[in-house]
Amino acid sequence: MAGFCRRDVGTLAAAVLLAGWLGGCATAPPTPEMLAANDPFEPTNRETLKLNGKIDKYFVIPTVAAYFFIVPDGGRRAIHNFLQNVSLPTVFVNDVLQGETKRAGQTFARFTINTTLGLGGFFDPATKKFRIPAHSEDFGQTLAVWGVGEGPYLILPVIGPQPPRDSFGQVVDVFIDPTNYIHFKQHVWWEAGRYYFTLLDLRGQTYATVQGIQRGSVDYYASLRSLYRQLRDNEIRNGRPEPQNLPEF
Amino acid sequence: MLSTDLTLGILPLARRALLALMVAGATLTTAATSASASAPAETYVQNNVQTGLSILNNHSASTDQKREQFERFILGLTDMKRIANFTLGQYKRTASPQEQEAFAQAFQSYAIAVYQSYFSKYSGQTLKVTGSQQRAPGDTIVQTVMIDPNDKSGQPPLEVDFRVLGETGKFVVIDFSVSGIWLALEERDQFSSFLGQNNGSIPLLISHLKELARNYKAEH
Repeated sequence: MAGFCRRDVGTLAAAVLLAGWLGGCATAPPTPEMLAANDPFEPTNRETLKLNGKIDKYFVIPTVAAYFFIVPDGGRRAIHNFLQNVSLPTVFVNDVLQGETKRAGQTFARFTINTTLGLGGFFDPATKKFRIPAHSEDFGQTLAVWGVGEGPYLILPVIGPQPPRDSFGQVVDVFIDPTNYIHFKQHVWWEAGRYYFTLLDLRGQTYATVQGIQRGSVDYYASLRSLYRQLRDNEIRNGRPEPQNLPEF
Repeated sequence: MLSTDLTLGILPLARRALLALMVAGATLTTAATSASASAPAETYVQNNVQTGLSILNNHSASTDQKREQFERFILGLTDMKRIANFTLGQYKRTASPQEQEAFAQAFQSYAIAVYQSYFSKYSGQTLKVTGSQQRAPGDTIVQTVMIDPNDKSGQPPLEVDFRVLGETGKFVVIDFSVSGIWLALEERDQFSSFLGQNNGSIPLLISHLKELARNYKAEH
């Protein structure tokens, strides 16, 4: 537990630093448009998006290119499967916290099948053979199901869109994830490798789509904000449509 | 501290990147909706959207022929003027009739190019209606999935919903969503923000839309 105490302090420090940074940057009062969009930190968010774009261009994309060059398609797929599988205990806990028993059962079955028949999760027979669909869950979604609002829109340096509810949820997921309780000598490298490959995997998958959004937007920032919120809402609803929430035309 | 930094940094970045940036790649599980609120609206979508996919999948037609046929198809399927007015949001109230007309024309050209770009991705697939829900009388959400005959991944098919207004014989599609993202809604958010950043200049928005439409056409 000592490790978690240290991590907790680090998390708190990061949050305080971040709050100070945001407070320092967002000196101009929000306009009515920003408030209407629940985006009072919009000028700061736009600057952060530019910064993240530079990090993406000069660090992430070259690294992803090297990953695609070095690791063949089958290897990348196996890594993707493994990363998905290792996240399933966290998904399972959030399924349960949301009272989604059927989805919790699916997650449990996927983890059991892929960890055994899928040779530690590198293969995905749960999807291919047993037709058990994958889904995502996290504590941010759980909070939403419990009635917690998103809070003002935020883009964080390096991290990307992460409103307060989802930021808090992300921290709680660290505590939920059982792999963080398995301490061994090389644990830090395991964690570093896991997150690094998750970044490579997901950025590789989204490369073409991101380019498409950038090229097809009159306002990339606003497009991203709308996409984030709509996708997040869809995830929280587990894809169940809510026609009553759609606007009048 | 390294583990903390990585936990707070890279994983959320990756996840948010996926959440916020993927349009067509999300594979979310949706509970099947058995409610069949409006069978005529379902039939309308089933028949007409499949026609659009067939146009784009016609390998014997030239690019220009396909574009022309697809444009006719979209104009027959949708109420473009209504969608354009919707995407202007609050700025419609302050726009002059001339600006509204010029915007509607620019938007139409842009929207057709965008729709063609989206639909092209599914041109080899078959649309299957899975149900519908009535939002209000004459306002129906028709739920569909795109069946890819060559897909062996085992993943659930992509969900595409259509919002249909009107009654039998007078149906029009006014928006569609891919994996929960409604396109006209996203366009309205984008345009409102753009206009907010540019003193409400509709001519500037029109100029950007024309440029984007040209870029889309050059790609397809």
